[in-house]
Amino acid sequence: MKQGSTIVIDPVTRIEGHSKITLHLNEDGRVEDAHFHVTQFRGFEKLAEGRPFYEMPSLMARICGICPVSHLIASAKACDSLLAVRIPPTADKLRRIFGLAQVTQSHALSLFHLSSPDLLLGMDADPAKSNIFGVAEKHPELALDGIRLRQFGQKIIERLGGKRIHPAWIVPGGVSEPLTEANRDAILWSLPDALAIAERTLEWFKSTMERFREEISTFGNFPTMFMGIVKDDNGLTFYDGKLRIVDASGHVVADELDPTQYSDYIGEKVESWSYLKSTYYKPKGFPDGVYRVGPLARMNVADRCGTPRADQELAEFHELQRTAVLSSFHYHHARLVEILYCIERMEQLLNDPEILSKHVRAVARPNALEGVGACEAPRGTLFHHYKIDEQGLIRWVNLVIATGHNNLAMNRSVLQVAKHYVHGNRLTPGMLNRVEAVIRCYDPCLSCSTHALGQMDLQIQLIAPGGEVLDEVRR
Amino acid sequence: MPRVLIIAYGNPLRSDDSVAWRAAKALRQKFSPNEVEIHCLHQLAPEVAETVSKFPRVIFVDAASAPAGHPGEIRVEKLRNIEGKDSTTQFFHAVSPLAVIRLAQSLYRVKPRAFSVTVTGQDFGHGEALSPVVESALPHLVSRIEALVRDADEAS
Repeated sequence: MKQGSTIVIDPVTRIEGHSKITLHLNEDGRVEDAHFHVTQFRGFEKLAEGRPFYEMPSLMARICGICPVSHLIASAKACDSLLAVRIPPTADKLRRIFGLAQVTQSHALSLFHLSSPDLLLGMDADPAKSNIFGVAEKHPELALDGIRLRQFGQKIIERLGGKRIHPAWIVPGGVSEPLTEANRDAILWSLPDALAIAERTLEWFKSTMERFREEISTFGNFPTMFMGIVKDDNGLTFYDGKLRIVDASGHVVADELDPTQYSDYIGEKVESWSYLKSTYYKPKGFPDGVYRVGPLARMNVADRCGTPRADQELAEFHELQRTAVLSSFHYHHARLVEILYCIERMEQLLNDPEILSKHVRAVARPNALEGVGACEAPRGTLFHHYKIDEQGLIRWVNLVIATGHNNLAMNRSVLQVAKHYVHGNRLTPGMLNRVEAVIRCYDPCLSCSTHALGQMDLQIQLIAPGGEVLDEVRR
Repeated sequence: MPRVLIIAYGNPLRSDDSVAWRAAKALRQKFSPNEVEIHCLHQLAPEVAETVSKFPRVIFVDAASAPAGHPGEIRVEKLRNIEGKDSTTQFFHAVSPLAVIRLAQSLYRVKPRAFSVTVTGQDFGHGEALSPVVESALPHLVSRIEALVRDADEAS
């Protein structure tokens, strides 16, 4: 390996979306710097301009095929603000169930399909076998569990919303159709099997952690703040609440923040080498205001889950470290605790006597020209912010996506792993797979996350076949 | 319990990529739910293996892109070698019909008779209409799938 050179991992595999990683080596062949480049751009904030606001939930759901429900929820909540309505209690509960089902299937995808090959077959396994098919060959029972858990979540989405991907059921003011008794009973009937899968997967995962001591100590194991939405009792929630930020010691930095005022405390920065914006906690500035969101953050900011088995597991999770739990490897563990919570919480909501009420939508005309909706997507806190004109047409959109909150931390994680494992003089697939694997801990959704802030830096080069730069344009 | 599963997949908002869904709509007029179960999906994913495992005959329907034939050309392929020892299968954004069948065999110990029926598209741009050449091929596509289903009836 030539000294002072660059290693490029392109593409980063077994994540959602398109990206690459560059590792910059010094003359001794040691990693000196690293970047996680998100190479795709979507532009939903621009193409939504001019559309009627009531189209936004369905339009925004198209941002993603894995977590469209989160965009539906955040968008509908922003539209609820534009209407200035309080949605019916049954609609609130139904939206929650919808979101919980999506978190379950999304977390199942992340663990079983994307990360389990590393956990089951090892970080140094043949890349050609490191996929769901390799897992099915060696550990068919776990592959079966993964498929069944994903099917479980997707079927609930289909029963409630009419289809598994991009369902149009969540609308401004509530949901479009009430829940039928037959669908409620069918979902309740499916819960015990899903709960059993979640329990045994959690036990299996905890039994494997000993094999990954080195990865736990080097995969994004550094101090940051953590942010998440919590309920009034500081309990875990995905739908609604106040924002809470804790530091690496577990102490509360900010509490009861209004998510609709996110721009007061969350800043966004564009980097020239990625389409993914970086967010930071404004009072601490950039880049000291780095924080993480998602399952690990939610475990750190929440005092309780509010369901029996998940509460037991959360208490055990908090024992992993006296401070906040810092290593990003523990995102996998946190995801499993959240799956447990989602299933238990769905049972509570489905057994609510009001869940079959026909009153599921508040109807109004726009009563405000600006609205913000926030929720916890599987990957972290999600904000949708809209401004409309007097005719109800969208004039401005800002989306702050979960994966963007983690951009700073992901870049630091890549550098930490690369410095520990990668030696320029002797490269192995296992070294580079570990660099990718730390990104997988965050379960990024890059298709969701790439949006512009203002005018992006742009550099266009005209390069001759021999490598000579013939011309260059910068903005 | 129907004995034939038809999985029509593609993006209904990308012109010719919607042809499988269009075929599915026509096929629902020809067969009762007791005879044939028809699913319309955006793409194939590992979870489809569980659905496939419940049927003795499975027909995958999709649009193909060049160079897989000239626009409007219909191809029927029996998915063979599902017992091949080489189980290396790459996991891209979506999986192939053969990968789904292999996964069904590996996890559920079943060996469905599986076919892939494709029509080569011409236009995959944004839109809900088929190109004229694919629109013309649609009735023939439906007939070929219908024949595969009837063949299953005769074989039973």
